[in-house]
Amino acid sequence: LMLSKHFLVCFLVSRKKMSLKSERRGIHVDQSELLCKKGCGYYGNPAWQGFCSKCWREEYHKARQKQIQEDWELAERLQREEEEAFASSQSNQGAQSLTFSKFEEKKTNEKTRKVTTVKKFFSASSRAGSKKEIHEAKAPSPSINRQTSIETDRVSKEFIEFLKTFHKTGQEIYKQTKLFLEAMHYKRELSIEEQSECTQDFYQNVAERMQARGKVPPERVEKIMDQIEKYIMTRLYKYVFCPETTDDEKKDLAIQKRIRALHWVTPQMLCVPVNEEIPEVSDMVVKAITDIIEMDSKRVPRDKLACITKCSKHIFNAIKITKNEPASADDFLPTLIYIVLKGNPPRLQSNIQYITRFCNPSRLMTGEDGYYFTNLCCAVAFIEKLDAQSLNLSQEDFDRYMSGQTSPRKQESESWSPDACLGVKQMYKNLDLLSQLNERQERIMNEAKKLEKDLIDWTDGIAKEVQDIVEKYPLEIKPPNQPLAAIDSENVENDKLPPPLQPQVYAG
Amino acid sequence: MAQAHGTPPPRADPGQPCVFKLVLLGSGSVGKSSLALRYVKDDFRSILPTVGCAFFTKVVEVGASSLKLEIWDTAGQEKFHSVCHLYFRGANAALLVYDVTKKESFHKAQQWLRDLEKEFRPGEVVVMLVGNKIDLSEEREVTFEEGKEFAESNRLLFMETSAKLNHQVSEAFSAVARELSQRGGGEGQAPGRDAAVVLNEGPTRRARCCAH
Repeated sequence: LMLSKHFLVCFLVSRKKMSLKSERRGIHVDQSELLCKKGCGYYGNPAWQGFCSKCWREEYHKARQKQIQEDWELAERLQREEEEAFASSQSNQGAQSLTFSKFEEKKTNEKTRKVTTVKKFFSASSRAGSKKEIHEAKAPSPSINRQTSIETDRVSKEFIEFLKTFHKTGQEIYKQTKLFLEAMHYKRELSIEEQSECTQDFYQNVAERMQARGKVPPERVEKIMDQIEKYIMTRLYKYVFCPETTDDEKKDLAIQKRIRALHWVTPQMLCVPVNEEIPEVSDMVVKAITDIIEMDSKRVPRDKLACITKCSKHIFNAIKITKNEPASADDFLPTLIYIVLKGNPPRLQSNIQYITRFCNPSRLMTGEDGYYFTNLCCAVAFIEKLDAQSLNLSQEDFDRYMSGQTSPRKQESESWSPDACLGVKQMYKNLDLLSQLNERQERIMNEAKKLEKDLIDWTDGIAKEVQDIVEKYPLEIKPPNQPLAAIDSENVENDKLPPPLQPQVYAG
Repeated sequence: MAQAHGTPPPRADPGQPCVFKLVLLGSGSVGKSSLALRYVKDDFRSILPTVGCAFFTKVVEVGASSLKLEIWDTAGQEKFHSVCHLYFRGANAALLVYDVTKKESFHKAQQWLRDLEKEFRPGEVVVMLVGNKIDLSEEREVTFEEGKEFAESNRLLFMETSAKLNHQVSEAFSAVARELSQRGGGEGQAPGRDAAVVLNEGPTRRARCCAH
């Protein structure tokens, strides 16, 4: 029972909260109303219904407590009614009449009742939800008079008010804009590129017509164009932002995953000239991150651009405080990359695509907003391509960090303790150095030993080889098989010689 | 932001100064930002950035007409080279800056030129080669002739400057502005040839007499 009650309360509270929010949206605060409504002397805030933060908390707390109390009561009443309904149905079936004395019986049925109560609530709410959805799906009909959201309403009112100041030209513009929106309704089936082209054509035509026919001075034209963009894009947003026909969403998820995988990148690796230890700087960094994340919540391309510009200004401030000189592009881009990595802004690719497709082109190509937008595009392209080389890391280190095996932060001596004094930091650094030296010394010793062993092995090897060869080819000293030819030996050739002269006796 | 200033907003409308986008390209620390800062600083009409110096605008008088230069500084570090082509979109002019004391930066400028050629048709953008830091003449590694020869063979405007001494800085930007306004009239009418003519007559000659 407690559980079911809790459910009810939560549900009611959240519904109350929602209604509170939508009420808040409509409040306009005048100059005189800037102070806290309670008169405590502090400034109030429209987000706090005109109270200062302290009074608002008190008021809100009170209201909330009351709300919770009421909701509890309501829940209890509902519970009771439910029980009675259940009991009467039981009694109608002739089972028994429910009295508080039959407590045991009640308890056994409790489970089923709880389920039905909760179910009833949820089915009711879901039915309401689906009804709303149907309504909304029907709403965007070509007749732009039918509005769906408060914001669209407000924007069109503002647009009409704005155009009133231009009399005839204003009427003409309103007609054209209406026609364009109706035409766009029938083009919803077309590819997003074609829709983008239509919108760009429209921007161009309207601007040209204003100058040629309406003779509107250029600076006025620019203002009117901004209003037109605001008006039409507030309406078209939900059909052309991250449309299902494109793979924008896939790209969003891809870059988000990529940024998450790069969580270990430090400012040092990117050579970011920002020192976050200075409180002012870290404040700027936080603001920049908030701005870039906020971009997703805007509907009008120009408002999205304004978020990027705001973010960029904070980055410039952060660099200026750190370096004591104005930042150049060489400093700015790495810092923007760092901010994007740190912030991981939602639907980044969709936002970039949407701005590129539907922003007034003159804003993108030139102008300060265009410059910062281009830088953001560069940052995203860089993050997509980022590799070991661009962070001055070895491929092995990069792979290890990407796979999550190690984190560079753990290895850095700075992260031992951020509050450690310089001496301790130095000591850790020295220890680090010593261990590195130690390692190197060991390596040298090992190498030396290996060399020694190699030398010994080599001499042994040579000796063995020589031995083998000696064994294989033993040195035999054979007696000379032919003694030097004896002068007095038998000689065949001697036969050819003429017979030796015989002594002859001559008579005489 | 930038639009909240006294000068008329940047729109290419008749009677208004035409807006031209000029990108500064070159390796890191060749003095791109210093050049732009030096150029913009001396002019009271230009909007001095309060925090950063990466984006500047300046109205330039060329003869009777005036045009508005929008100067986009770019990150020159090697690692960003692959993404920097994104800065080129919609550019009308480019300043290829190198450091005369660093040969490497001169080679890099040539690489930038090749990148530009990939994105634009010949003559679509006005390109000027700028050798900066000539105050460091002792350490010079790239001679005036080398720079000039490269510029002439690629039909670029050429000038040597010193942002530190404010030497030839505004002349460089004015030369680009003049070229832009000349081309502005007849877009696509063999602007490449015009560039060569200007190169031979205008800034180069002036630059030569100022070079040591």
